[in-house]
Amino acid sequence: MNEAETILELESVVIRGRWRDGVEALPGPLSLRVRRGETWLVLGGMGSGKSALLEAMVGLRALGGGTVRVFGRELSGLKGAELAAMRRRMGLVFEGRGRLMSGMTVLENVTLPVCYHGNVDVEAAAVEVGGWMEEMELEGLADVGVGRLGMAWARRVALARAVVQGPELLLLDDPMGGLDPVHARWWRGFLGRLRDGHPRLGGQGVTLVMATGSPRALMGLAGRCAVMTGEGLRDVGGCKDALGRDEAWTDEGDGEE
Amino acid sequence: MRRERAVAGVGQAGRAGIELAGRSWGAWVRWTRWAFRLGGGVNTAREVGALGLIALGTLVTERGRASRVMGRLVQEQVLRAGVRLLPLVCFLGVAMGAVIVGQTTLLLEQVGQGAVLGPLLATVVVRELAPLTAALVVLARVGTATVAELGMSRASGEVEALEVLGIDPVHYLVVPRLVGFSAAVVCLAVYLVLVSLGTGYVVAFVRGLELRPMEFAGMVAGALSWVDFPLVGLKTAGFGALTSMVICYHGLARPLRMEEVGEATTRTVAHTLVACLVFDAVFMPVYMVL
Repeated sequence: MNEAETILELESVVIRGRWRDGVEALPGPLSLRVRRGETWLVLGGMGSGKSALLEAMVGLRALGGGTVRVFGRELSGLKGAELAAMRRRMGLVFEGRGRLMSGMTVLENVTLPVCYHGNVDVEAAAVEVGGWMEEMELEGLADVGVGRLGMAWARRVALARAVVQGPELLLLDDPMGGLDPVHARWWRGFLGRLRDGHPRLGGQGVTLVMATGSPRALMGLAGRCAVMTGEGLRDVGGCKDALGRDEAWTDEGDGEE
Repeated sequence: MRRERAVAGVGQAGRAGIELAGRSWGAWVRWTRWAFRLGGGVNTAREVGALGLIALGTLVTERGRASRVMGRLVQEQVLRAGVRLLPLVCFLGVAMGAVIVGQTTLLLEQVGQGAVLGPLLATVVVRELAPLTAALVVLARVGTATVAELGMSRASGEVEALEVLGIDPVHYLVVPRLVGFSAAVVCLAVYLVLVSLGTGYVVAFVRGLELRPMEFAGMVAGALSWVDFPLVGLKTAGFGALTSMVICYHGLARPLRMEEVGEATTRTVAHTLVACLVFDAVFMPVYMVL
């Protein structure tokens, strides 16, 4: 693979924040190179900074140093409409309930980016996302307020909201955390289809970066692994190799306050 | 004996000195605290102003963008801060009309000063009382709830979720409130003027005012010049804009924990009041010139 295919690159990134014990930055600097079509697993213990890392990848965190390049462009150099356009090519599914808009229904949440960027009303957007809603088994919940959903369904809505924009790069923060086996199986199947090229996305495979503390549920999906350790982010190669070795990836980092 | 007196004198002087020093120290501490509060107020004013400028800039640069979504959001705010408050504003208008307009009208007629009735009502009700009351009603009924709502959205990470979707949070969350609240306050002030003047006339008429409705309306209208309409409109819309900016600032400035919501809403009310009165004062020289 050549350099042009690198779609996400972290170079000596320092992520600042308020962590416990007076620590003001994640161990690092952090470097990672993700190429188009790859599926990455970022492993780390609770509070090791996986979420902060994903947020830095979409430019939600001010960096203490280093650069994040997405689709060949440095994120810190983008502002306003350019940054928004770049973010539309990416998706981030937050952990837990996925940070849905609390006062809205499932359909309003899923159609929000389509309505806003396509300048259409909810009814028109609902037709556009109907296929996704059906495939994600959300059509029966369309008019339900997201506050009434359980965590598994809320996270699925968050995934739907991220994929309806047709992202080329999808970041998922602990997608399997707290899911029952039925939901977990569905997620594995759906993420597998996204990785291999979903028909609704023109058969183009989506590049996935998934952060998790319990990798076994995602092991079959991911090709490459990086581990958040006390020294920073370490590329450990193939996932099976990483899991096979008795890696200290579960080392407790400094939990963020 | 003399020595004891001298010691007692020194002791008294010492105590007085300590007391005086304590008093000055206390005063110094109080003044310092006030200075810090003032400094904090100035900082808040600067930050609210900055948010206002950003929101206005976004309103101009992003005009027409996502017009259907933004139109719906503005409509929601007008409904919330305007239409739903109409019964309350009408009630306040009736009360204001009966208590202030009715009594003033009758009193002026009784003392033979009916000629100043028009200018007085135009100044008190149309220019001052109605715009300010409308803004305060919106602040009390919608503002405090909005602070809590925005603060919770910020705390639950919804603002970051919008950013990830490529949606500018200022455009999506602040601009609809800026436009919606401004429009709502202007409309409510118009209703307040009409209802209070109407009620005032009825009360005064029942109590023996010898003026026909059209004469009364003509006196008030005659006291208003053409420049009053844009000025009062600007001032009233300004109250709405200021209210919305202070609300958005306190809701979005930082993630609110449940126990912080009360304090944030109290600050919002206090800061909005100060902001509106200062803004009102800006118009005084204009009216004096005119």
